[in-house]
Amino acid sequence: MTVSAPTSALSSQEVEDDRPTTEPPTVPLARDTPGRPKSGRRRAVSQERLASLVQGRKAVLCVDNVSVSFDGFKALNELTLILDAGELRCIIGPNGAGKTTLMDCITGKTRPDAGSVYLVGHGEDLIGLSEHEIAALGICRKFQRPTVFGGHSVFENLELALAGNRSVWRALFGGLSKAEAEVIDQTLETIGLKEARDRPAGQLSHGQKQWLEIGMLLAQKPRVLLVDEPIAGMTHAETERTAELLVSLAGERTVVVVEHDMEFVRNIASRVTVLHEGRVLAEGSLDQVQANSEVVEVYLGAGHA
Amino acid sequence: MSALAVFRRMHSTRGWLVFGACALVALVLIPLFHSALPPTSPLAVSDRLIALLGKFCCYAITAVALDLIWGFTGMLSLGHGVFFALGGYAMGMYLMLGIGSQGVYRSNLPDFMVFLDWKELPWFWHGFNRFFFALFAALWVPGLLAYVFGYFAFRSRIRGVYFSIITQALTYALMLLFFRNDTGLGGNNGLTDFKQIYGWPLALSQTKRMLYVLTAASLLLTYLLCRYVVTGKMGRVLRAVRDAESRVMFLGYDTRKYKLFAWTFSAVLCGLAGALYVPQVGIINPSELQPSNSIEMAIWAAVGGRGTLVGAALGAFVVNGAKSWFTVALPELWLYVLGALFILVTLFLPEGLVGAFNKLLERRGVKVAVAAGGKSS
Repeated sequence: MTVSAPTSALSSQEVEDDRPTTEPPTVPLARDTPGRPKSGRRRAVSQERLASLVQGRKAVLCVDNVSVSFDGFKALNELTLILDAGELRCIIGPNGAGKTTLMDCITGKTRPDAGSVYLVGHGEDLIGLSEHEIAALGICRKFQRPTVFGGHSVFENLELALAGNRSVWRALFGGLSKAEAEVIDQTLETIGLKEARDRPAGQLSHGQKQWLEIGMLLAQKPRVLLVDEPIAGMTHAETERTAELLVSLAGERTVVVVEHDMEFVRNIASRVTVLHEGRVLAEGSLDQVQANSEVVEVYLGAGHA
Repeated sequence: MSALAVFRRMHSTRGWLVFGACALVALVLIPLFHSALPPTSPLAVSDRLIALLGKFCCYAITAVALDLIWGFTGMLSLGHGVFFALGGYAMGMYLMLGIGSQGVYRSNLPDFMVFLDWKELPWFWHGFNRFFFALFAALWVPGLLAYVFGYFAFRSRIRGVYFSIITQALTYALMLLFFRNDTGLGGNNGLTDFKQIYGWPLALSQTKRMLYVLTAASLLLTYLLCRYVVTGKMGRVLRAVRDAESRVMFLGYDTRKYKLFAWTFSAVLCGLAGALYVPQVGIINPSELQPSNSIEMAIWAAVGGRGTLVGAALGAFVVNGAKSWFTVALPELWLYVLGALFILVTLFLPEGLVGAFNKLLERRGVKVAVAAGGKSS
């Protein structure tokens, strides 16, 4: 059940021009030179490499051998992680295990020292794309602290998030179509904020802000939804609603939840990946993971003592 | 989107009525009082006053443009004097060539070139004998500079106070450049002694009135354009960038492009203000590029109320009105007054005059839209 970091040759190749390309590289390199990829340099996805990682699974996102170090501290150490389409995955691990850094690498906030991130169906390595490009590809992230736009109304928050053309031209001369307004109203209903439609988002309660943020992520029509500690600071009732919401979201899209709360993880009954010191320590159901002696030692043992 | 929807989105009926009243006063009544009333009448508008009002309108355009970038996008520019001055110099070059051989040295070259013993026009002066060429340059030169400057600044993710500092540096660097005689723009003395614009003698009362009307109309147009921008989706994205830029990026927006649009658009409007300013005050020189000038522009917006557009224009009129009065009555006190004004507004009216006015109305039970780009006015 544990996915060990593959040691086979990594054969992604640097592409000179900026055009996205799906063709496999003509001259596979024996191994990517370690070190920081040049800023903004786009690289094509190596299809062979991707196939060897996926091995027939219905994968959507592959994190391949990613390493990040901050001043010598290895936050991620040749981490490899494969997310299947439509699954609900929990990532747990003690503080400093690299959970947030992993999210940062996937969303383009942090550029790793080495490794690749592949989105199945997209011809480019995500490492090298900027935050907004990755978000536009359908990889959306919910931060720990709810960050809605407090000065905008609830409706306007959803309008900003709504999937669609993000060009300056459209923002200047375009309007909201009827269909789009309907999608927003539907989303308002899903997250239970219909009454608060025209209220400034800054006036919402903490839990309502969390839901609004989840609504904003839904409006983006993501393929992969990354959720960072969704229940921090929530009441019991809000926690339950959030669990229901996350379970209902998976299936159509892949949901990745970073969470400390074991009770919550058990409630949403998902596959669990345990990170430790920047590596995947174990993967499987919560029971399987909890039975793993290594895991008990580094994480659960300490937490449940 | 239908024109009516745009109309509604920009202002409520009451807002449009107020706007119409302002336009009526600015474009009809003031010019009428200037041309028709005898100087003895209590409502008479003198040549001096109409030129002063024209000048204030230029400042107000600048303040509105600055508000777009500061109040709505959250980037405090302390270098908007650059764009104003570039627009001014472009128009100044046209006016300079318009002097023809009526200068002190009776030469076809501008006086300062004769003085420097230059034999012919530098290359970049060519074309500036045509009015529309110069007017166009007054828009695209500041726009291009802003685009290039903004492109690199935003790409490097320079934000907040660092952005303010480099804009100050920009205006200071340009001031030093324009002070040099070799730059070919009149050095220390700048461009002055203009005689006529588009065939109209500048000393003529009608010319002054016409320039005033053009400037007031430009101010109204600037306001409407900016209002259109901030009440649309663009405005919502810009305000979102102001409040939480990284969040906007994670929503898939390339925030650099949005900021670049607002920044460049703001610079173009400032260039227009500068171009209208120069024929009315009769001179453009590097003192317009002093860092303190650009800071003063920020004070106008702050005093009137950031993020309201109307407030910025109002602030420009109030501060400059006070300046005109003080520099005549108590000239040595003006800088203290300006400083005190800034401190008092920051402490007691953080939302400026317009913000305070809205609060007063709210207390009396009148419903007003939220200051920062609400749906109506």
